[in-house]
Amino acid sequence: MRHSSYSYQNLLGDPQNMKIISKEDFQNFIDALIKDDSLNVIGVKSRGNKFAFAPLESAKELRLDYDVTLLPPKKYFFPQRETLFTYDLSDGFSAKNPEEIKPMVIVGVHPYDIVALLHMDEIFRETKSDPYYFKKREAAIIIGVNIQKMSKWNFSSFMGSAAIDYGYDLMLTDLGNRYAINIGSQKGEDLLSKYAKNVTLALARDIQIAGQKKREVMGMSQQKFDFPPELIPELLKDSYGKSGFWEKHSEKCLACGSCVLVCPTCYCFDVKENLDLSLEQGERIRTWDGCLLEDFAKIASGENFRATRPTRYRHRYFKKGKYLFDTFGFISCVGCGRCSSNCLPDIANPVNLFNDMYHENIDSGTQMATVAAQPDVNIQTEGDIDYVPKLATIIKKVPMTSMETLFEIKLDDGSELSHKPGQFVEVSVFGIGEAPISLSSSPTKKETFEVCVRKLGNVTTKLHRLNVGDKVGIRGPFGNGFDVGSLKGKDLLFIAGGLGIAPLRSLINYVLDNRKDFGRVYLLYGCKEPKELLFSDELVSIASKENVEFKPTVDRCPESGVWEGNIGVITTLIPQVSFDPEKTLAILCGPPVMYKFVIADLKKRNVPDDHIIMSLERRMKCGVGKCGHCQINQIYVCKDGPVFNYSKIKGVPEAL
Amino acid sequence: MKPKVAFFDFAGCEGDQLQVANLEEDLLALLGQVEVVSFREVMKEHSDNYDIAFVEGSCTRLQDEDRLKTIRKNAKIVVAIGSCATIGGINSLRNYKDLENVKKTVYGENARLFDSYAARAIDAVIPVDAYVHGCPIDKEDFLQVVKSLLLGKKPETTTYPVCVECKKNENVCAFERGQFCVGTVTRAGCNSCCVNEGTICWGCRGLVDNPNENSHKEVLIKYGLTVDDAISKFRLYFGWQETKR
Repeated sequence: MRHSSYSYQNLLGDPQNMKIISKEDFQNFIDALIKDDSLNVIGVKSRGNKFAFAPLESAKELRLDYDVTLLPPKKYFFPQRETLFTYDLSDGFSAKNPEEIKPMVIVGVHPYDIVALLHMDEIFRETKSDPYYFKKREAAIIIGVNIQKMSKWNFSSFMGSAAIDYGYDLMLTDLGNRYAINIGSQKGEDLLSKYAKNVTLALARDIQIAGQKKREVMGMSQQKFDFPPELIPELLKDSYGKSGFWEKHSEKCLACGSCVLVCPTCYCFDVKENLDLSLEQGERIRTWDGCLLEDFAKIASGENFRATRPTRYRHRYFKKGKYLFDTFGFISCVGCGRCSSNCLPDIANPVNLFNDMYHENIDSGTQMATVAAQPDVNIQTEGDIDYVPKLATIIKKVPMTSMETLFEIKLDDGSELSHKPGQFVEVSVFGIGEAPISLSSSPTKKETFEVCVRKLGNVTTKLHRLNVGDKVGIRGPFGNGFDVGSLKGKDLLFIAGGLGIAPLRSLINYVLDNRKDFGRVYLLYGCKEPKELLFSDELVSIASKENVEFKPTVDRCPESGVWEGNIGVITTLIPQVSFDPEKTLAILCGPPVMYKFVIADLKKRNVPDDHIIMSLERRMKCGVGKCGHCQINQIYVCKDGPVFNYSKIKGVPEAL
Repeated sequence: MKPKVAFFDFAGCEGDQLQVANLEEDLLALLGQVEVVSFREVMKEHSDNYDIAFVEGSCTRLQDEDRLKTIRKNAKIVVAIGSCATIGGINSLRNYKDLENVKKTVYGENARLFDSYAARAIDAVIPVDAYVHGCPIDKEDFLQVVKSLLLGKKPETTTYPVCVECKKNENVCAFERGQFCVGTVTRAGCNSCCVNEGTICWGCRGLVDNPNENSHKEVLIKYGLTVDDAISKFRLYFGWQETKR
């Protein structure tokens, strides 16, 4: 079943199906809607010298002559703060989904904001559908209004969203003392016939005037592109590393996030826990977040993958103009101009930035594509996102080092996790929050699974304090995992740094459980100091039993430590193993800094790019490719990864 | 066993403790979780046996340092509450003036009887485990920090500026109303309470970790402030942080 919101796109409002209502009867219509307590009626009202969507108490409050609202109507479908579920810990853990919502009618939505909602529909249904968003979307009736006054920052006419024939239930055009109403859906038609009086068919003249008004809007934008904006994705193609360009343009960036928070197509969010003072009743919420904010891509270990203002500033333009375009086929900007008008240092205006980029290209003689790119769009939806974790019990807890503990966990409903090696789960400690943790056990171990957890952030620190028998929540498994089929018959060279052994262990154990399917196995494993080595007894024992060449190393050995093996960073082990680069797949996992050095050394040994496979770490908050925190350029690590073939990501600048 | 908590005050108006005393309906729930052993503003009893110390006010003289160090020794967790304690607060305004003149203005001819030095945040003297920013502190923010400590969680400090909350609350920007605000560089967490009420952000929660101060001063000047006024805007609350940077 398709979401009704999505079917909007196939439901073109017929320009001929136009009705007329006098302004007085229109007011009565709105007042009749307000009077009906089963409806939540929202409209554009004035707020100070600005405008905002807010609940209507009377039709008189409506300001359909507004220029732009402070926030887009997105806030009714994807609110600033939204409860994903509430829970009670007084008797174990019982979760409740939020209550049903009232049907709402939103009056006065400008065409660009309607297009933005259609973008959001696509984004929220991609891969898995977001039930919170679509429940509200399905419960809403959109009454649009054609733009009468345009904000000076607006450039929607360039983005094809100044006037539209789809996406609404009803669309109003001001004809002086009357409104022309385009009917966009059955829902709209029914609403009109139930609540409005004296609605007449439009005459040919009315249709002509309404058409004229719409055409006028197309020329109203004061912000003007110097080139066809369809070429933005082409323009961006070669602009990522443009020397000094992003630094220059972001020099005044306050990293305040205003540009993304007011955007009608931004959808990044954070997930948080909120407990009341009894410490028993709580809720998990999601709140708007923004990729311009300093900690957006920071992980628990302190690594920040977009630590500087220019990199975050650039990410916004690329996300809108390139990454989303490549996936969805639309530039994720509707030209409302809110970002420009809200930026105090005035550096967020996409028209200025792209015009500058265009002219710099022209001046430097760079060949510009003249034809817009057409990406291959294939959006699939498979079921709904479930944010409520499954209850699970810790059945074994093995301390490994002062920082790491291995937990064996069993799902309470008796089901199997059925994961692939390399996948991860989101582990909830109720009252504290949720954190992504790699699975450490092989899927051949069925009834339970294991995670090796380093004490770093709040969730993992609290997890360490839990005991056997205590409850946790589990969502997942998430991510692609290793494609074990493609490894069969090959020699495998595992290279693990530090905690990187944890996700690799799930694959190593899988390989050992199916030993005859694989060729030679090498395992290189490095840590800072001997006391930090994980699974060392287990690794030594499998090495001797299963014909695995195991080489550990430590960066240093303090005087108090005992160490007879290699001393040096992980790359010092690579020359010590002899392997056939054509027959061998190298499988890497370690701290972010490790990869480029290991890859360089593997390349020296002539390992082909597509023989290098790696698992990457990022801030995977939602696990389902929505919240944006784990994004590496156009890639969502939680969904497209965490396992990547080097040949696929070597050209992705933020990956390594 | 409920953790024992104590409140202490240094140079400040005690308004943050007043916020705690004014928790109203949450007060009983809070007392269900902690045992208050010292709180001069609401009780006579005092004990030096406490787990969590909430410290209000800035450190303004050498003797304060000894008292702070004793508190640090007694407590497992020290929480700075209110701008004076967390960022030096408005006391730091005097750091820009001649100390002898300041003393004369305040104490008149008895000035020589009083010790004083540059006002500073308490983490300039002792390590601080958690912060409840604000002038005064926000009750909800205070409770969040307390709950985090009770759960054994490191209290989250927002790293983004007040603009984030203003946007979420759909406030008309102070600059659009012809006013001058420092919310762009001020640590959020107050739910933009002042701007919600139609005024401006004065910066009481201190600068964010990496503020783009020059850019914001430029903004203030672009919108019509003089350079001196823009600098004063920053000094009101950011004085100690700025001199430290």
